[in-house]
Amino acid sequence: MRLVVALPKGRLLEESRRALAQAGLRLPAPEARKMRLSTEDAELILVRNADVPTYVELGIADLGVVGKDNIEEAGRDLYEPVDLGFGACRLSLIRKPGDSGPIRRVATKYPRITERWLKEQGIPADVIKLHGNVELAALVGLADAVVDVVETGQTLRAAGLAEVATLMESTARLIVNKSALKVKAARIKPLIARLRAP
Amino acid sequence: MRPEGTRVYLGAEARRREALIGALNRLFDAHGYQPVEVPALEAQDPAHPLFDRAFKLVDKTGEVLTLRSEFTTALAKALLTEGLADKEGRYRYAGKLWLREASAEVGRLREFTQVGVELVGVSSPEADAELLALAFEALRVAGAGRAVIEVGLPAFVHDLLDAARLPEDRCEALRRAVDKKAVPELAELLERFGVKGRIREAILALPDLYGGEEVLAEARRHALSERAKLDLDWLEAVRRRLPEVPLIFDFGMARRFDYYTGLTFRAYTPDFGLPLLGGGRYDGGLLPFAAGFALGLERLMEVA
Repeated sequence: MRLVVALPKGRLLEESRRALAQAGLRLPAPEARKMRLSTEDAELILVRNADVPTYVELGIADLGVVGKDNIEEAGRDLYEPVDLGFGACRLSLIRKPGDSGPIRRVATKYPRITERWLKEQGIPADVIKLHGNVELAALVGLADAVVDVVETGQTLRAAGLAEVATLMESTARLIVNKSALKVKAARIKPLIARLRAP
Repeated sequence: MRPEGTRVYLGAEARRREALIGALNRLFDAHGYQPVEVPALEAQDPAHPLFDRAFKLVDKTGEVLTLRSEFTTALAKALLTEGLADKEGRYRYAGKLWLREASAEVGRLREFTQVGVELVGVSSPEADAELLALAFEALRVAGAGRAVIEVGLPAFVHDLLDAARLPEDRCEALRRAVDKKAVPELAELLERFGVKGRIREAILALPDLYGGEEVLAEARRHALSERAKLDLDWLEAVRRRLPEVPLIFDFGMARRFDYYTGLTFRAYTPDFGLPLLGGGRYDGGLLPFAAGFALGLERLMEVA
């Protein structure tokens, strides 16, 4: 029973591989420019963070690792049985210090979470979807505020911006395809138990 | 231009679809299920489980119609109007359904075809066993011989959540965490809502109550109410009648919008990531006594 695992390229990749290896699932080491790597009992596919839930929900991958922020944004039908603890960050509302005018336009890579939060807060603002360098939008006036990922806050302060509110906290999660968990339970259920073990 | 999530079928593919529908129809017919046709146009009904996701049209009177999004509700309404709701009956259907999903993707068309049956007017472990055996045969006929059927008891989850005596929004938050098997969130919510003792322990166990026969015994340990015990007795009675059908279980399955009151089931295959079939018992919801299931034709075509 082969397992197909989708992992995000970037900062979560090494820690995800290590956590899975400790739980007994060894994945091949990434090689330059390779998107698919195989061993006898597992295949690793490397995708962008925001795409991990898509590959897993549709069953192209049996399981994957991705931040809670990306899971919430994707809003897909998946199991998320384990908090892996690493990759801690938060989604924050960010403005120029001193900006106190009404928020009418918010730029973000997370339009779904942002819209939901604005609605909860009763702020009637429009959301602009961006694909990167989100802070810039607040600096150059594309938006009155931005919603973006914050780890330590250093980058933000260096850019002359300030966090105004936290929308959510996030850590890396194991996500599992709904059908794979059942059909491949013999491999996935023990893996989940080992990943949860402190 | 053709709308997103719709398909044209030609040549060999059209023939294979036709053959598959024909084979399933013949199987259901051989088991005494009568054909039924229901309209694709329906009067809008905000209480319909898929109301939000259904296509809406405006009638010449200005009233809103919906496109059929599901067969079970449509058939139940038809039987109620025809005065057949209480009578024992075996019905089969095959046809198109429409849902205005945000985007169409693998196995998720906006116009799709289902073939299914409803067994009306009886409620017993025998009736459920008949449907499960038929579902298993249908999967084999459709060439999905590697598929397994998973049985769940949504009432088991709802029962335990009710036992926690929480306001509705908190209950709903717990249900969502259980359904996603999001154990970290579930533990945090139980803590925050002050749920303690055996109820906490039982709710926290729900997400992991899946697998083979061994989980039945585990579920028994967490069955706190009389009703939960009766539900498990019923399920055992169904299973005893089906020694040849490989069943797996999940007692943490609890979707939001459904009308199911008894056991529910789905079929999974290692060859495709989405369920091939779904069904269950819905006594008292739409009809006094009824259960049924439907197979997704487009999904079957992916594995057949």
